[in-house]
Amino acid sequence: MNRRMRRFGSALLLGGVVSLSGCYSMRPSAGGGQTSFSGTRAVNASDIAVPAGYRVEAVARDFTFPTGVAFDAQGIPHVVEAGYSYGEVFTTPRLVRVNKDGSTTEVARGGKNGPWTGVAYANGAFFVAEGGQMEGGRILRITPEGKITALVENLPGQGDHHTNGPAIGPDGAVYFGQGTATNSGVVGQDNLKFGWLKRFPKFHDIACQDITLAGVNYPTADAPATPDLPKGSTGAFVPFGTATNAGQLIRGQVPCSGAIMKVSPNGGKPELVAWGFRNPFGLAFAPDGQLYATDNGYDERGSRPVWGTPDVLWRVAPGTWYGWPDYSEGLPLNQELYEVPGKGKPQLVLAKPPGKPPRPVASLGVHASSNGLDFSRSKRFGHAGHAFIAEFGDQAPDSGKSLHPVGFRVIRVDVSNGRIEDFVVNRSDKGGPASKIGGGGLERPVAVRFDPSGDGLYVVDFGVMLMDKTGPKPQQRTGVLWRVTRGSPK
Amino acid sequence: MNAGRRMRRVIGLSAVAIVLASLAACYPTRRSEPLVGPMPLDKAHLLRGRLLFDRHCYKCHLEGEGGLAPAMNDKPLPKFLMRLQVRVGLGAMPGFTDEQISDAELDDILNYIVALRHHHQKQ
Repeated sequence: MNRRMRRFGSALLLGGVVSLSGCYSMRPSAGGGQTSFSGTRAVNASDIAVPAGYRVEAVARDFTFPTGVAFDAQGIPHVVEAGYSYGEVFTTPRLVRVNKDGSTTEVARGGKNGPWTGVAYANGAFFVAEGGQMEGGRILRITPEGKITALVENLPGQGDHHTNGPAIGPDGAVYFGQGTATNSGVVGQDNLKFGWLKRFPKFHDIACQDITLAGVNYPTADAPATPDLPKGSTGAFVPFGTATNAGQLIRGQVPCSGAIMKVSPNGGKPELVAWGFRNPFGLAFAPDGQLYATDNGYDERGSRPVWGTPDVLWRVAPGTWYGWPDYSEGLPLNQELYEVPGKGKPQLVLAKPPGKPPRPVASLGVHASSNGLDFSRSKRFGHAGHAFIAEFGDQAPDSGKSLHPVGFRVIRVDVSNGRIEDFVVNRSDKGGPASKIGGGGLERPVAVRFDPSGDGLYVVDFGVMLMDKTGPKPQQRTGVLWRVTRGSPK
Repeated sequence: MNAGRRMRRVIGLSAVAIVLASLAACYPTRRSEPLVGPMPLDKAHLLRGRLLFDRHCYKCHLEGEGGLAPAMNDKPLPKFLMRLQVRVGLGAMPGFTDEQISDAELDDILNYIVALRHHHQKQ
């Protein structure tokens, strides 16, 4: 063995050992929610890091499943509490005013049809997206006195993902997102675990325009828990236990799944803006009037699992199809990039894509759950025109294996070039929620919103949500509203 | 070299490799701006590398701290091994063709990864 060969061998050995120390298949999932929690949540802003020159503070705490914040005409923050969380926990959806001392005053409450997923304010009223877990999604107009009027109802929000948003467009319309019923188009046993399939055994995804199927079907597991569900196989865009054929036409309709739609602030029929999303959770208009949306990537679960697909930030062009259920980040799923380890590449379920999906502005962390979105408009705050995104954090192992916690932070994206930077993170050698790494920092940021002055970035922290093999375990009264400002304390 | 010496050398190299791997696992991996300050990207190739990294690598490795996939900032792999891993793939990581990432782009990405690994030392 000559010297060169020995060096090469040593390098290979070193490389092999170091690589194996991080081997994906040999290590268990270690997502951020895979921890324990009891008692009261600690809240300590000094456990949170922000870039030099900025500071962070807690504004209010003890919310139950908060998901959004908006400011009324006087600039007073109002928070929505969802009233429903994954884990099948139903509480009461509420809109609450946040007082200067951090206490809250209820403005309005809804029924058992959460989750309320977001709130916007315009022209003297709040607009709330009601997720629709029991009765279908709605967009609600709520006056400051608490009077609730539905602008649109019967949106397909009973599934995995809900009615989201809203955002008020430059045209005055109320824009909202509608998530899909399923992970990747096929109703499966994973939807039983969510809880909705037992309630709505015929529910499935709805196409926005006519599509033709490839006739790909997936075996329906014969599970003892589902004696009343049909056995056999299931295709895309059809109820559980329904097979599809090659060339089968699925008629499009509006409202539909995986779409961004808009409705007049006075109510009426929803109008399709764009489709082919999976779960367009965060909507926001940039200072130049361009609409952007965050979109949660596929999970490694269900009858048609998909691996390694990122959350994305889309620049939304009206009339465009963005790729779900056969593409991720503008690329078809039937390639090595998205191959589920040990299970092969996903098959495409559409005979022909209804368009060529664009590439996203940015591909974010796989399973980060990149949700609420807003843009800086202030030179004083800095980064004017950049997107700020709240990352709820992974739901491993339900969403798939993660070797490290993903998300649990606020990121900043320069939409001109796709550069991604952390902006608000927990102060620790390891990432993850405070319930996992210790301290009183962030748990699960779910929404961000600049105040009317543009000087304060408010971060809605959903609170603690644990994860284990039986599913999510959300913890009530652990939500926090944080504020990030630039400069020294006032 | 006789068999005894060769065996001792193999054992010694293995021990060094295992110690290095163990140390790597303990090394802090986070390099984000709030924690260690902004990374200087004053050289054009580093900025190119960063943008390419964000497009192709960030989704699984974040800023090298790991996520779906293992951390990178704690692994002292030389560039030629990283290049091999990117082209061929390893375990669950897919390989990337030169149509997906050109050789010049991969050079920029690898230079960026090495700079990122050392970023904490510049603070």
